[in-house]
Amino acid sequence: MEIELVEIRDFLAKRPPFDALPEEQLNQLPKSLEIRYLRRGNLFPPGDATQGYIYILRSGAIELRDEEDNLVEKLGEGGIYTTDCQLIDFGRATHGLAAEDSLIYQLPCDLLKVLRKSEPAFDRHFAESIRDRLKQAVRTLKDNADESPIAQMTVEVSDLIKKSPITIDINCSIRQAAQLMSEKNVSSVMVMEQQKLAGIITDRDLRKRCIAAGISTDQLVSQIMTTNLETIQKNTMAIQALMTMTRLHVHHLPVLQGDTVVGMLTATDLARHQTTNSAFLASDIRKAATVEDLAIVSERLPDVQFQLANSNAAALHVGEAISCITDALTARLIEMAEAELGPPPVPYAWLCAGSQARHEQTSHSDQDNALLIADEMKPEHEAYFEALAKKVSDGLNACGYVYCPGNAMATNPKWRQTLRIWRKYFNTWINKPEPMALMLSSIFFDLRAVYGNMEMFDELRTDILNKTRGNGIFTAFMAANALQHRPPLGFFRTFVLIHGGAHDDTFDIKHRGIVPITDIARVFALDQGLTPVNTTERLEAAAETKVLSREMGENLVDAMEFIASIRIYHQAEQIRKGITPDNYLSPEELSDLERRHLKDAFRVIQEMQDAMENRYQGGRFL
Amino acid sequence: MLKHFLSLDSLRKRALSKAEPGALHDYLSTPLTSKRTQCEELSIVSLDLETTGLDPTKDKILSFGLVEMQHMTIKLETARHQLISIEDEIPEASAVIHQITDDQAATGVPLDEALPELLQRLAGKVMLVHYSAIEQNFISAACQKLFGAPFVIPIIDTLVLARRIFEHRNHTIQTGDLRLFNLRPRYNLPNYKAHNALSDAVATAELFLAMASDMVPQPSQCQLRRFLTR
Repeated sequence: MEIELVEIRDFLAKRPPFDALPEEQLNQLPKSLEIRYLRRGNLFPPGDATQGYIYILRSGAIELRDEEDNLVEKLGEGGIYTTDCQLIDFGRATHGLAAEDSLIYQLPCDLLKVLRKSEPAFDRHFAESIRDRLKQAVRTLKDNADESPIAQMTVEVSDLIKKSPITIDINCSIRQAAQLMSEKNVSSVMVMEQQKLAGIITDRDLRKRCIAAGISTDQLVSQIMTTNLETIQKNTMAIQALMTMTRLHVHHLPVLQGDTVVGMLTATDLARHQTTNSAFLASDIRKAATVEDLAIVSERLPDVQFQLANSNAAALHVGEAISCITDALTARLIEMAEAELGPPPVPYAWLCAGSQARHEQTSHSDQDNALLIADEMKPEHEAYFEALAKKVSDGLNACGYVYCPGNAMATNPKWRQTLRIWRKYFNTWINKPEPMALMLSSIFFDLRAVYGNMEMFDELRTDILNKTRGNGIFTAFMAANALQHRPPLGFFRTFVLIHGGAHDDTFDIKHRGIVPITDIARVFALDQGLTPVNTTERLEAAAETKVLSREMGENLVDAMEFIASIRIYHQAEQIRKGITPDNYLSPEELSDLERRHLKDAFRVIQEMQDAMENRYQGGRFL
Repeated sequence: MLKHFLSLDSLRKRALSKAEPGALHDYLSTPLTSKRTQCEELSIVSLDLETTGLDPTKDKILSFGLVEMQHMTIKLETARHQLISIEDEIPEASAVIHQITDDQAATGVPLDEALPELLQRLAGKVMLVHYSAIEQNFISAACQKLFGAPFVIPIIDTLVLARRIFEHRNHTIQTGDLRLFNLRPRYNLPNYKAHNALSDAVATAELFLAMASDMVPQPSQCQLRRFLTR
């Protein structure tokens, strides 16, 4: 080829889809191009084209608009327009014009067809749907995950348990249990009563409760087994299991799938797979005697997030790991408070709300919490819970979880109430939805008990979901609320393109990317009465119902994962530079490919919001 | 001089009568593009020469680069770049600019072989150049020497057009303002790093497209004479 067209070749070479072409094809490509110049205000695509072309913008800007003249897309340098080659890329765009004087390369559709036929990698760019592209993007993120130890923290418990469960019937003797344990060379055995887990016996139980206590080995295992077991589900993350073990001072956790026993997780299993780093973090939280100790431990949280991001752990798992550490810190603070204030006068549960409840926290977000207290509470108990809330909230603040600016904290008397009052609150929010209620809804409809009386919280949650399930008016309000945060249209040069055609230098990836999806997931969960709080789990559960198609559900899950990953990398970069992590992303941080995938993700959200607007007539109530 | 008062076509006929049989004679036998040709119908050849200096009587052509335009669209498939071998050494001062070394020049063809191709490509077309004195005078000098007659062609010179636009808008012209690579950013055209005859020919063609759309917002109502500088 004429090497002299190297400038044009190089321009194409660094841009998808042309970057997928082999050297030889790429070198030939400039010769197939034609160059035009469109003055600002001229129609695009040019009306006088004698055949179909794919257009590549070399300089300038092109705006594409829909029937109602709303801006759909703005192309800048390197932007590609393929619609005239029967490739639907800007589905909603009906017309366009040059927003600036523009230099345009055009490539005949016929030639494009030839290239697509001969180069599969190039072809893929055009053939894939948004859905495939997003899937691929998420897969690529995960494929890059290395075998670094911290990445192992995000494995699930089921990956760590190797043996099938060792069980013994409740009517067996202690000796039989000991024999079985020796035979199988295990340190614990699960005791079953008619297919159900009744308890466990460990080496320590044999030592302390049997031999040392002088109990005959002919006695039944039920005499010495540990009941009231803490169990974990097999899809629990390793780090969460670690936190649970450390918190309970136990070395064995039965692993269930639903109600079925599938194995036993031991501290040794974990130790083999944990990084010393997070293992230390867990035990340091445990060992911390004062708030100051905890604050020091907590300083390592950004490092953990950074390492997780660097190991390319899925965003879903990073959020889970961070939330899990926050849970452990919170639990430890509550224990310290109880140690100081004495045991609680009546049962209570410490509730977390918002991103921590959804298991989607990034390091050191604001604290959102509340206290749920048993109805037996007397006025004289108020002081105890007030003091408890203050200690824990102050402690969290000292640990970097700053006070909630909206005062959605247990220290606020309004959010430190009995089960009866909480029920009343939710009743009002659900039956008389108002803007204020909607604002709170995004906090308190994502709720989870971290510590204390879990049953009481389950009762409240069941009550809430019973009231929201199939509640058309409430759902319409929630849907309208979910439409308030719109994703950007895309990117244009160093700007973010938002509805109405305005430009921003940065965009808030939380409010314009993540919040819209969590809002959508919440609407489905409440409408269908689904128990999950985590956005991905909510979407997966909703995709099993009639309100959300499986395909759309998958798209949203992928969109969430991709956006959340971008956010985590952005924050990891800030942590590396010693800047406080935030949610403000500048398009300049993004590669062409990331921009493209983000745009796909935005389009998925937009489609869902449009569908939601129709389904729930969301716009009507605001 | 008298020839300035003669029409281009009379000049062509006069040259044709003098030209020896061969490439120039063939070239001059093709009618020139009429100045009343609609812009959209124009066939334009954007041309750039690299030379060893500015004096056509002493200096040599080192290379040419060209690309054709039809319907106000640049057709890169017509792009052509040709190095020309010379007997003398390339002066260092010019090598710095065009970056053609003696070794590269040695891979080219002699001018008497390259010129016929160039003339054939230009026959019946309009020549687009930036600062036409170089191209016009060097090709003409070569034609005189090889075929005994001058070279005649309608010319669009983007430098002259630029000066007209500046003057029309009462802009003072600073040194360097009229250089190709200083004019391009004014029309939102990208920077090209490479500097050779072909990339300059493409760069000039793009500049012309931009200027034309600026000068004549309705291309359907424009004729060649609007842009002709000779």
